[in-house]
Amino acid sequence: MGIDSPEQEFLRAPSTQQYEPVLRNPSVYNPLDTFRLPPGQDRQYQQQYGDMYFLRLAKLKPAVEAVAVEAWEGFSIAGEHARRVERVLDVRQGELCWVAGTIYMEMPLKPNILRDLTEDNFTLAPPPRKTYQDPSHPELTEIMLEDESGRLRLVGSKLGSIQLATGAIIAVLGTENANGDFEAIDIKVPDLARQPLRWERDNPQASKSSKKGKIAFVSGLGITGTSSDNLTLELLADYLLGYSESSTSRNEDGSVPDANTITRLIIAGNSLGASIIGEAPSVEGTTGKKIAQQKKYGYDASAYNASPITQLDSFLAELLPSLPITIMPGETDPANFALPQQPIHRAMFPRSRAYCAPPPSGEEKAEPGWFDSVTNPWEGDVEGWRFWGSSGQNVDDVLRYLNFADEDGNIDPNCDAEERLRIMEAMLRWRCGVPTAPDTIWSYPFQTNDPFVMLACPHLFFTGNQPQFKTAVIEGDNPLKLGEDTEMGGTDEDTPVPTVRLLSIPKFRETGELVLVDTETLEVELVKFGAFAGKEDKQ
Amino acid sequence: MVVADYKKYLAENVLNERSTVTYRSLGRGLKVHSTLAKQMLYDFHHTENAKKPRSVNATYILTGIQKAEESTTTNSTKPNSSSGNGDDIMPSSPYIPSSMANQEAAGDQVPISSVLLVREEDLEGAKSTFESISSIYVYSLQSTILQDLNVLTDVAREMLVNHAKEDPLEYGKQWGMIQNKNVKRRTGARPPPPPPAPSSTIPAKRPAQSDSQQSKTEVKEERSDSKPAQCQNTPSTKPAEKAAAPPKKEKGSLFSSFAKAKPKLKKESSSTPAVSGAESAEPSGAEDVVLGDASDDGEEQEELFPESKKPASTETRESRKEREDRLRKMMEDDDDEDEEMPDATEPEEPSAPIDQPPPKQAELKVEATVAGGRRRGRRQVMKKAVKKDSEGYLVTVEEPSWESFSEDEPAPPPPKRKPVVSAPKAKAGAKAGQGNIMSFFGKK
Repeated sequence: MGIDSPEQEFLRAPSTQQYEPVLRNPSVYNPLDTFRLPPGQDRQYQQQYGDMYFLRLAKLKPAVEAVAVEAWEGFSIAGEHARRVERVLDVRQGELCWVAGTIYMEMPLKPNILRDLTEDNFTLAPPPRKTYQDPSHPELTEIMLEDESGRLRLVGSKLGSIQLATGAIIAVLGTENANGDFEAIDIKVPDLARQPLRWERDNPQASKSSKKGKIAFVSGLGITGTSSDNLTLELLADYLLGYSESSTSRNEDGSVPDANTITRLIIAGNSLGASIIGEAPSVEGTTGKKIAQQKKYGYDASAYNASPITQLDSFLAELLPSLPITIMPGETDPANFALPQQPIHRAMFPRSRAYCAPPPSGEEKAEPGWFDSVTNPWEGDVEGWRFWGSSGQNVDDVLRYLNFADEDGNIDPNCDAEERLRIMEAMLRWRCGVPTAPDTIWSYPFQTNDPFVMLACPHLFFTGNQPQFKTAVIEGDNPLKLGEDTEMGGTDEDTPVPTVRLLSIPKFRETGELVLVDTETLEVELVKFGAFAGKEDKQ
Repeated sequence: MVVADYKKYLAENVLNERSTVTYRSLGRGLKVHSTLAKQMLYDFHHTENAKKPRSVNATYILTGIQKAEESTTTNSTKPNSSSGNGDDIMPSSPYIPSSMANQEAAGDQVPISSVLLVREEDLEGAKSTFESISSIYVYSLQSTILQDLNVLTDVAREMLVNHAKEDPLEYGKQWGMIQNKNVKRRTGARPPPPPPAPSSTIPAKRPAQSDSQQSKTEVKEERSDSKPAQCQNTPSTKPAEKAAAPPKKEKGSLFSSFAKAKPKLKKESSSTPAVSGAESAEPSGAEDVVLGDASDDGEEQEELFPESKKPASTETRESRKEREDRLRKMMEDDDDEDEEMPDATEPEEPSAPIDQPPPKQAELKVEATVAGGRRRGRRQVMKKAVKKDSEGYLVTVEEPSWESFSEDEPAPPPPKRKPVVSAPKAKAGAKAGQGNIMSFFGKK
């Protein structure tokens, strides 16, 4: 077409050129229902949470013990061989041994229901804290190893060098000292679970139909319904729909990645802003009385502001004709609060719901919808890769267990972002996506299985609503010694070393950043949206 | 011809009405491709300012790679260049996450491109922050400098309202939207009535309209064929839904959808293959009409009361009329609005045993007495008990036992409600402590 400079394409008189429609590649999508709770009356809240720890330990103990056997068998200090001990209570004083169990951390600032009850302070949810550690009294933090028999306090310099959080399953090598504490010499974790092969769950045709493309991630849209927060959102929509790119300067160096290569958008939580949810309707004076008298249930325009959700709905409805979307609820979204958060109900999306899958009918499993409202955390296969992601609560909470703040409680943002990736790595190696549930994250009391245990290691592990974008690749152990995986469905002999892409997705509202992941290489790119702060703003 | 009109259109909107026109609102207004709309904006801006300087003000979009804000990190100039040197694979470490030290450098090599909205005055300044610019175009035109760029979102919102009737699946190609052949959309979804306040909300994108559209739609739409038929078959319900009906009327339509959802459910549960078949196969015939039409509201409602769904779908003896009557009564109850949610929860909970009493639940009784403004009562619950049997084994049995409860809630006015509900319901429903939440949890 003879247009060389990109500037000339748009900055010229209208042409009579015909524009060919740009086509988007199909998306191969196969979500898992790992975190769906039973509907209706089958959802019980009377169970004890203890079952979850029991299940988790039962599931992960063989794995961690296999790692430990590998490492410690024949290990001896001064002629004394390390002995394997089944239960923590069987540990004998002065004897070199190793034992597996669940970590429990006692921390001074951790919410404690018993303390709240004794202080008559049980009506309100505990305020969120930056950390459960008391920076001025680090010695108050106790780390314990527990199993169904009892608890063992862990001490030793080894503990200082690694991160632990309540709920992680580990094996510890050491001796019990005169105080009855267990002096830890070494610690082993279950390490990465078996990683499925690409396209493992999809039919063979799917892998052929898939072409090179990108998957877009965004989180923390933070729509509050006021006009001030929507400009970048508008630019985002324009970009995703392909309006903001030039039709001729494709695939040139230095250009924005083409929007038509994006095959799916994943929204990782907090699509609505925080402020609206927290606001309780102010009941006071005469109006309050009136409300109390009427006791009107359902829609009450005075107490409920629908505009954030309508805006989200129209944002989605604008994108959906061109782009399939997976949306996860987050902390501030209209879904249940306890993990796993269930999908935002499609009644919330009067316009977008036409793209949903038809409501489940009977036993048959419905095909995933074009617009898929999923759980948080969520697991599924996209373009053959296994994704495991959450809206960020899990990482935020584990962070509170770690000693990252200096004495005054200040946090270095760079250090913080790195710490968050380390937590994500640790979760994968613990094989537990939400270790601190149900201790400090609200959780559904699972009784027959703990879905937070990762049975399969994902290829891409993402966390939404993080303060900063950050990515890394981690690598598993040598797969040859993955003997512990036999209970997970057999090992593949020529399995490559599992590598996992970690992705911490920033809040869009604060950063304007959209994360693009290549479907072939899982390479990451970033597109930033914003308005230039010019003279007018500075005035 | 359209192309010639744009000057008139822009002159009217930008110069006379002093409103803001973005390339998208222009594109939609004139039904032209977004690229063409951008060119029109540029041309108009150029010619008008040549005639009379500063008569039209523009905002631009710059896309490209911005220079790194701090010189500490050197971003790769080309986004593709990182594919080779991307992230270093972290050396395998049994579990010492601190080995991520080298990740920081790797993380910064992620190519970042920017899409930036810039005012005309700042254009040069903004350009200088870019390392390379891949495209630049006029985003909007207005007669004065925009004090607040957020005004542009109002333009976009207004545009959506004005063009709500245009189905993006049909017009998207014209606008230059990226097309997707695989879009799956259910038809028969009733768009919500346009919200009353257009300033803050956006109305239905797709009112049930345009019989003509389905022939043009390139994208495969499920059951699109049933659309016209649907309109003919259900003329009675259509008007009620279309207009933003007064509340009374809406209730009426709610009934009808409830009533209609019934046969649909039957069909669905008895022949699920038919449903999935209808998705893939060429849809035709009355069945699809029923499915398509009754589906949405009915389904959504149905889904909101998952408890009531099962009995309703399995139990088919109850006639539709009966059901409708009961619903009407419920609604009337609601209208009284002196009493509360329990009414609404009633149908879920206590009505289940009526439809088809599950043997276990039917045994559980709730008795409530009202005394001194407080309601107390006892109810029967199933309790698990572990017993040693004759042979010395421990067995767990479920047995009914009584448990007392009290509520601080004021007593419901019972005489009022009793005559309203039908006989079996009165027993299970009205007496059931108005479906208070304790009895809900008590059941096992």
